[in-house]
Amino acid sequence: MPLKSCVRCGLPETYETIQFDEKGVCNICSERTFRDEAIDWKERRRQLDALVATYRGKHPYDCIVPFSGGKDSTFTLNFLVREYGLKPLVVQFNHGFLRPTLLANNERTFKQLGVEVLSFTPNWKVVKRLMRESLIRKGDFCWHCHTGIFAFPMQIALRFETPLIFWGEPSAEYTAYYSYSDQEVEEVDERRFNRWTNLGITAEDMAGMIGGDFPLDPRDLAPYTYPSVRDLKRLGCRSVCLGSFVPWDVKRNTQEIMSELGWKGDEVEGMPWETYPYEKIECYMQGVRDYIKYLKRGYSRVTQMTALDLRNGRITKEDAARLIDEHEGRKPPSLRLFLEYLEMDEQEFNEIVRKTVVAPHVPDFGAEWAPMTWDFDRWHREKATHTDGPALLDSPSKSRD
Amino acid sequence: MLKKRIVPVQLLLGERLVKTVRFDTHRDVGDPVASSKVYSSQDADELVFLNIDREGRSADRLLRLLERVSEVCFMPLAMGGGIRALADVEALIRRGADKVVINSAAYRDRDLLAQAADKFGAQAVVVSIDVRRDLETGAPRLFSDCGRRAEAITLEEHIRAVSDSGAGELLVNSIDRDGTMEGYDVPLIAEVRAQSRVPVIACGGAGNYTHLKDAFLATDVEALACGSLFNFGDNNPLRAKAFLGNYGIPFKKI
Amino acid sequence: MGTVGILDIEMGNLRSLCNAIDSLGVDSRVAREPSVLAEVSRVLIPGVGSYRAAMGNLTRLGFVDPLRRFAAAGKPVLGICLGMQVLSTRGEEGGAVPGLALIPGDVVLMEPDSLRLPHVGWNSVSFRSPHPVLEGIRDGKDFYFVHSYEFRCAPEHSYAETSYGRPFSSIVGVGNVLGVQFHPEKSQRNGLQLLENFCRWDGGC
Repeated sequence: MPLKSCVRCGLPETYETIQFDEKGVCNICSERTFRDEAIDWKERRRQLDALVATYRGKHPYDCIVPFSGGKDSTFTLNFLVREYGLKPLVVQFNHGFLRPTLLANNERTFKQLGVEVLSFTPNWKVVKRLMRESLIRKGDFCWHCHTGIFAFPMQIALRFETPLIFWGEPSAEYTAYYSYSDQEVEEVDERRFNRWTNLGITAEDMAGMIGGDFPLDPRDLAPYTYPSVRDLKRLGCRSVCLGSFVPWDVKRNTQEIMSELGWKGDEVEGMPWETYPYEKIECYMQGVRDYIKYLKRGYSRVTQMTALDLRNGRITKEDAARLIDEHEGRKPPSLRLFLEYLEMDEQEFNEIVRKTVVAPHVPDFGAEWAPMTWDFDRWHREKATHTDGPALLDSPSKSRD
Repeated sequence: MLKKRIVPVQLLLGERLVKTVRFDTHRDVGDPVASSKVYSSQDADELVFLNIDREGRSADRLLRLLERVSEVCFMPLAMGGGIRALADVEALIRRGADKVVINSAAYRDRDLLAQAADKFGAQAVVVSIDVRRDLETGAPRLFSDCGRRAEAITLEEHIRAVSDSGAGELLVNSIDRDGTMEGYDVPLIAEVRAQSRVPVIACGGAGNYTHLKDAFLATDVEALACGSLFNFGDNNPLRAKAFLGNYGIPFKKI
Repeated sequence: MGTVGILDIEMGNLRSLCNAIDSLGVDSRVAREPSVLAEVSRVLIPGVGSYRAAMGNLTRLGFVDPLRRFAAAGKPVLGICLGMQVLSTRGEEGGAVPGLALIPGDVVLMEPDSLRLPHVGWNSVSFRSPHPVLEGIRDGKDFYFVHSYEFRCAPEHSYAETSYGRPFSSIVGVGNVLGVQFHPEKSQRNGLQLLENFCRWDGGC
């Protein structure tokens, strides 16, 4: 039986928090309508002006900007510097899979804007163990990244006594954990962290989960630990999304950073490269992430991109279906690296993912390989060369198409 | 309209939470206070804590935990595991519990149920019933003492006896399905629901949202409890409720 | 906003309410005797159990007249669950029991058609008219209820209603005295918002 899906954007019932109204339109679409029609964005901009004025000049930095280098954080940083002349501390959490185009983009961005940047790289051995545990328990190996990205900058805010933190896109743009129609500015706080960001697992939880077989120093999970609410309150911390004050337009945002900063898109495994070169370019494990999503939920990144375009009236249903059919669900070449990092073979991987499939979807493990991206050979390898490594059920094509 | 409830069950062993399979084997699933904060952020409907430590049965551990949890969770809290005396019930309620969960004591000391209900109201007294199906006949058999001691009384008689004594709610647990993530024992839930004049929370076997949908749609059960579902699998109560909402099952909106 | 007094009428658990008030960063004092009322700017009356027992305890502890004077002085009072019910003129529980008579009305056993009592669980609260204590809370949200009796009063004193078999008043109030049938300290965000609003309320409406 096919999955229920939104009559407007096509997202299926296995999409997290999705709900359909009597007409079959999903809540993500309705929220978008609300956002466009019922929010007074002039008033929101005034709130932003007031917020900036409250904090400007009073602390070692005017604000913290957590930064990955993707289009959202690049847009956010550019906007704050250009519109307000703020002095930000840019904080990067290195998840371990940064790509060359992204690094070049970042260098260009930082030098053009003239900003101070802190970059943190966690212990790779701990990361590997965390990826394994996270994959097994949640069917999502990115726990270290989700938590590091959202907890670490809060720790830096405390250390540098800089209470204002600007994130980019509100989660209300793509899930219903928070709603535009609640007319509130989404607080990027511990509640949000526990509500969905950390997959329901805190650092305290994780310590007991991996401590049995891994030589864990109690300090190893510090980067993933959300600081105390009391300390943040004492600092007067305000952690918000720029997208709560400025309506988020992904295409316009991307155009802006391309023309103003020379920001470049990139190829992402499993995506139609000409159509969507700007999305999720930050991480070379994105392909595996998207593949697991496809196995678990029966849809993936291509569906999400076409959903956004359908919602915006930028694509027809026929073209969306064609893109999904041609590109979605392919196995990413990076899978072999992932299996190498986690010391497992594809059979074991499939068994683990199978346990986390979201009903009523029934997974298909027999996908074809997606083409390699241009920088595939530059990605970290533990011990194997390109030709040997963990047992795969079949071999990826060496060609780039 | 009264809403249906999804109730995460947290099994306490020492200072950590664990998950069992058929009441056996223990797998660490987190820190009790951190976990409660997570469920709180996820707007869980209520939390049940059961101390399954077969050695340390005093209420002290529950009390210490309750102290910390009630500082950060502002939702109904039910505590159980080794409750044998009215003093235990009293201590837990005064410390912030809304309900106490009594299992073994309900077989031999129904006076305790009556006293607790009298003092705190029947809604504060939850009787937990652990069930294994007979291997030959499939009939439900009751067990006390963390699933170790077979009880002779039938399911129907026990339900009637505890309700008459003051239990305001039942928590029925399928030992066979516990931790298997293969789905609830829906016929068992239906049977208990039919025999009980007080609300029922059913536990044991939830592995995905379809299992919850099946149980809610096939029976009138007021609440479904989950142990493994939120610990293994990319699931949380909010997603569960969104999914179930698409099938017309009503949950609280906050 | 001053200090909040939390009455201890020896019925039910105070701890959750105290914790909730603490989490809001508001100062509170538990009042086990009437003299404490002089030291607080507003009062919360929590309680779960029997009307008769509650009024018995209030009388024995000497709270009845001091509370009436406190309310007459215009200071905010919030009754929660049984605490709301004792604000009434009388309760029908094995005969009539006189209440604090701060909000005219009678407390009677619910008759929710075929539905079971007590009414336990999450149910929707629909606003009938605005109130400062409801600021920032959206209409129709669910709160946690545990009760078998309901407060019957004049429509102008009913600020919200909830349906269980039939509609009943879930929020009642007159002037600076307000009562909520549900437990705000168990109702997560919206409950905490309500308590916070109460702590800021000057008693006017």
